[in-house]
Amino acid sequence: MEDFLGAIGPILQSTVRNATPLVFAALGGLFSERSGVVNIGLEGLMLIAAFAGVAGAHFSGSALVGLGTALAAGLLFALIHALMCVTFEADQIISGTAINLLALSGTGFLMVVIFGAGGTSPRVNGFASAAIPLLSDIPIIGRALFDQSLLVYLMYVLVPVVFFVVFRTPFGLRLRATGEAPEAVDTAGVNVARMRYYGVALSGLLAACGGVYLSMGLLSAFTENMTGGRGFIALAALIFGRWNPIGAAGAALLFGFGQAVTFSVNEQAIPIEFIEMLPYLLTIIVLAGFGGRAIAPAAIGKPYRKE
Amino acid sequence: MAEESGGVLGAADAPIVLEMRGVTKRFGPVTANDDVSLTLHRGEVLGILGENGAGKSTLMKILYGLYTPDEGEIFVDGERVEIRDPKDAVSRGVGMVHQHFTLIPPLTVAENIVLGAEPRKGLSLNLEEAVRATEELSQRYGLQVDPRARVADLSVGVRQRVEILKALYRNVRILVLDEPTAVLTPQETEDLFAVLKVLVADGLSIILITHKLGELLGVGDEITIIRDGRVVDTVKAAETNERELARLMVGREVLLRVEKEEAQTSEEVRLSAENLSVRSGTGEEAVAGVSLEVRGGEILGVAGVDGNGQTELAEALAGTRPIEGGAVYLDGEDVTRLGADALQGRGLAYVPEDRAAKGLVQDFALYENNALKTYDEPPFSRFGWIFPKIMRRRAAESLRAYDVRPADPDARAGSLSGGNQQKAVLARELSGDPGVVIAAQPTRGVDVGAIEFIHRQLLKQRSEGKAILLISLELEEIRSLSDRILVIYAGRIVGEVGPDATDEELGLLMAGHEIEEKSA
Amino acid sequence: MSQEPGVTEGRGSVLGRMVTGAAGALLFPLIAILLSFIIGAVIVLATGNNPFAAYAALLEGAVGDPFALGRTLLYTTPLIFTGLAVAVAFRAGLFNIGGEGQLFLGAVTAAWLGVSLGFLGPIAIPLVLAACAITGFLWGSIPGVLKAYFGAHEVITTIMLNYVGIYLAYYLAQHPLGQKGPIPGTETIQLAARIPTISAALGRANYGFFIAIVAAVVVYVLLWRTRRGFELRAVGLSPGAANYAGMRLGLNTILALAIGGSLAGLGGGVEVLGVYGNMDVPFVTNLGFNGIGVALLGRNHPVGVILGALLFGALTSGAQEMQFATDVPLQLANVLLAVILLLVTATKLVELIVGKRARDFAAGTHLENERGL
Repeated sequence: MEDFLGAIGPILQSTVRNATPLVFAALGGLFSERSGVVNIGLEGLMLIAAFAGVAGAHFSGSALVGLGTALAAGLLFALIHALMCVTFEADQIISGTAINLLALSGTGFLMVVIFGAGGTSPRVNGFASAAIPLLSDIPIIGRALFDQSLLVYLMYVLVPVVFFVVFRTPFGLRLRATGEAPEAVDTAGVNVARMRYYGVALSGLLAACGGVYLSMGLLSAFTENMTGGRGFIALAALIFGRWNPIGAAGAALLFGFGQAVTFSVNEQAIPIEFIEMLPYLLTIIVLAGFGGRAIAPAAIGKPYRKE
Repeated sequence: MAEESGGVLGAADAPIVLEMRGVTKRFGPVTANDDVSLTLHRGEVLGILGENGAGKSTLMKILYGLYTPDEGEIFVDGERVEIRDPKDAVSRGVGMVHQHFTLIPPLTVAENIVLGAEPRKGLSLNLEEAVRATEELSQRYGLQVDPRARVADLSVGVRQRVEILKALYRNVRILVLDEPTAVLTPQETEDLFAVLKVLVADGLSIILITHKLGELLGVGDEITIIRDGRVVDTVKAAETNERELARLMVGREVLLRVEKEEAQTSEEVRLSAENLSVRSGTGEEAVAGVSLEVRGGEILGVAGVDGNGQTELAEALAGTRPIEGGAVYLDGEDVTRLGADALQGRGLAYVPEDRAAKGLVQDFALYENNALKTYDEPPFSRFGWIFPKIMRRRAAESLRAYDVRPADPDARAGSLSGGNQQKAVLARELSGDPGVVIAAQPTRGVDVGAIEFIHRQLLKQRSEGKAILLISLELEEIRSLSDRILVIYAGRIVGEVGPDATDEELGLLMAGHEIEEKSA
Repeated sequence: MSQEPGVTEGRGSVLGRMVTGAAGALLFPLIAILLSFIIGAVIVLATGNNPFAAYAALLEGAVGDPFALGRTLLYTTPLIFTGLAVAVAFRAGLFNIGGEGQLFLGAVTAAWLGVSLGFLGPIAIPLVLAACAITGFLWGSIPGVLKAYFGAHEVITTIMLNYVGIYLAYYLAQHPLGQKGPIPGTETIQLAARIPTISAALGRANYGFFIAIVAAVVVYVLLWRTRRGFELRAVGLSPGAANYAGMRLGLNTILALAIGGSLAGLGGGVEVLGVYGNMDVPFVTNLGFNGIGVALLGRNHPVGVILGALLFGALTSGAQEMQFATDVPLQLANVLLAVILLLVTATKLVELIVGKRARDFAAGTHLENERGL
């Protein structure tokens, strides 16, 4: 029993760490998809930002500057996605796939150009753990929740904020409406293209936070393809959480917990590959169970062309 | 102000709130509106009457800022205005209820109504205020709605009320309704007209677009008739009648009877349904216990207001929609569980109502479309292979026989006009010498020449002893072609009449009055 | 009856634009390629290199000598398979993003059976490849079934199944089938049971390339000369009309994705039998995703897929020479490929560049965008 309680703390701490990048990216995907633009480029947006953050921090020596460059890079690539999908009416799935490939090859390219070689970048100043006094002293959960990187605390704040914005503000109402019935939004005098640009731009900023957390929160360096499919797990969390911020965060925590448990088990009771599969499998089951379409924003994936 | 009366009296003397002068709109070579002018007075209901494709909707989309006119001017309250988008229109006090509703199903009524002009409380959306405003408008104009209900859960009639409330919430003074009754039951139509009377009494002005003659006489003050994009005439509702309106609308005396021979109906029932029930795509019972029999050499017409189960009935009989209950017999054989492929092999031809999405693969060549059902049979196919050359040759023959232009087997189906597309469907369906023909809305959206051609073809099939089930929304078509007429209402057959039935008889049946009531 | 659940939504979008209009078929791809090379030149300039020198080296490295050409064919081969895997599904109105996972499972099948059946020598090759195709077929049919009977959108399920497939392949390659050596992966297949190289001059290029060409021919014949192909294309262009004509939507959905899966699976098998001789962990990446670009660039036509794969293969191959001859990192090739993919469906961009009429001509039709998620 003692051992069990002793193990919970670290597992919870690891759960939060695994979940944080997923939560950021899933919240980002939520803004994009609620506006009607599929964003399977989350993976790429995170990766680009993870690199840009490290590059910014490397040259400035400041983690905050790194965060700034990461946000700028995430925003830039999200805007490329928006430009393609909204303005040029390209296919959203194709554009998202291209963003992923561009991020992977682009960061590889820049690693060589900037740092002289691929693989892993030099170490930079990151967002180290900073325990919150008192709160972090709570038994068991204290250290897990409140002895974390600043970016984790940002994540705690963002989940309710995103919920409020999406469900309690005029902006959120318009955003949701745009993802459901753009022609109705248009006749109500709201600019559909602008709402979609907002949605995709926000997804870039939030995915960038997730990327920065990977390269400057968990680690203090960039390694090639360090997202390793987390963008797709975030997408899975978004779907699993039924396009709701609380649901998506919950799903991300669940996926993070799964990984935390595996890492803490020494014996190969369950091969790690099967745990890695879990988020993807669960999402497929959820999709099949709910009949897919019924729960996604109705106009998602379709360019809106005015008459 | 409140003294301002709606209805016929006084409206013409009221100030002019809207004037469109010399509006012209071209789409490539097509002129949709040609020098159209109209005038709307305060507190007036102006009817705009015209056939499908006459240019009514284009005109209203110009007024609402969805299209930009090539020529012409618009004046609102005497002031010349440029209306660039719906926002402009609304800011000028012009609102529109579209034929296809522009509501967001998962959102509530109140959320839909305030979208784009939301009441706020600090940063957040003031939903209580939205609900309150909705309730207030709803009570003031007698538009009963529950502000907190999800639009997805509402009936069509209630959704229309939400659309009207949406416009009223934005303080519009001119309300355009595009074919508002097309989707309504007769009772809902009455309710709508009662609401319109309240609105004009309150000083609003209304433009009502329709192609139904009768409606305008009851509710309109003035009626502007549009034909081929031009204004033909403007008449006072009180001084005209249906006959005159019909003549103005179509440009000739209606009652052009199709010449048809005496029916040579055989005794033998070719197609029959017993107590058939079918669900719609949304899971509702669309056809509820329909029984019918079609004999060789006759055309059985099915009349009814749109959306009363006609689509589902045709699809179920043709095997493209699952049957919930009851049975279908084709030449005596129980075919209830057979699919479209098997039925077509047994001599059933089916002209579907949705030509664009069902009758043809738009991006297939005509020869591929011509083989759409027989691609898997010799001579087009053997041992799993297909033979495009033979398909082309056969297609060339039948396209010529059915006067499809161009009669080029390699032409893409989608590049043809509506009438020629429909002829291509007929060419495929009828050239296989079917025993039974189901024709659903065979002339919807096709030009006059093609209509005549299609009618002649159906009559030819009849004289060859085929059994034909004709489903149409066009009463005149049903009456002139059919030997017997069934009337469908809410998924049930409510009566059978002969082709000489009066408008009143048919009208009552289509409104759901059982035939017993009439004879009693 | 013939209508099956869950397969009723309209399709169009990219399909409409990319499938039709053979006359102007080259416009979209050409504009995308041209723009990406211009963007690439700007990137090269930014790194302080001469774009002309870089592109010259790239060309040299792609086709400059037999060895370079052989390397190009080597990189082209798997892309033909994954491109076809996307194209077949696309023709049936479906998006197969699952090429990656399908290829991995084909590869692990080949790695396992290649070792077990290695004693048969060359006779093992067709047997192993058939098994790879079957594996891919079964794996590909999963999203088909999920779509046809549960309404789960194939874009999401194929994406998710990629990772399931990759992890499953990695598990199999390391545990039940794994060697007990320092590098994680399977044992090596004996040379006699591998696909032979074409000639010494062409380096490592092997007969797998010709297997890919045969696969493209088979796909062409399937789509345009068989009943099944007629149905797949009809379902892809108009599910409503296909259902009306009595075709089974669900069956065709499943078959299209399964056939796509079998092609990608075959691609994985050819990689293992022709190039690597075993499956290491980690294995080659992004062949499945790049197949999407290949298919779109080739307008989902087998001939186009071969050309698209050749372009992608040439870029990848030439990039090695470019990195050697100039200071430009070889990742530039993949950047160019990504940019091509990004631009190749940008309808309005093409319209902006060449005018609307030419766009309509190129697209063949003015289809509404119907495909949703």
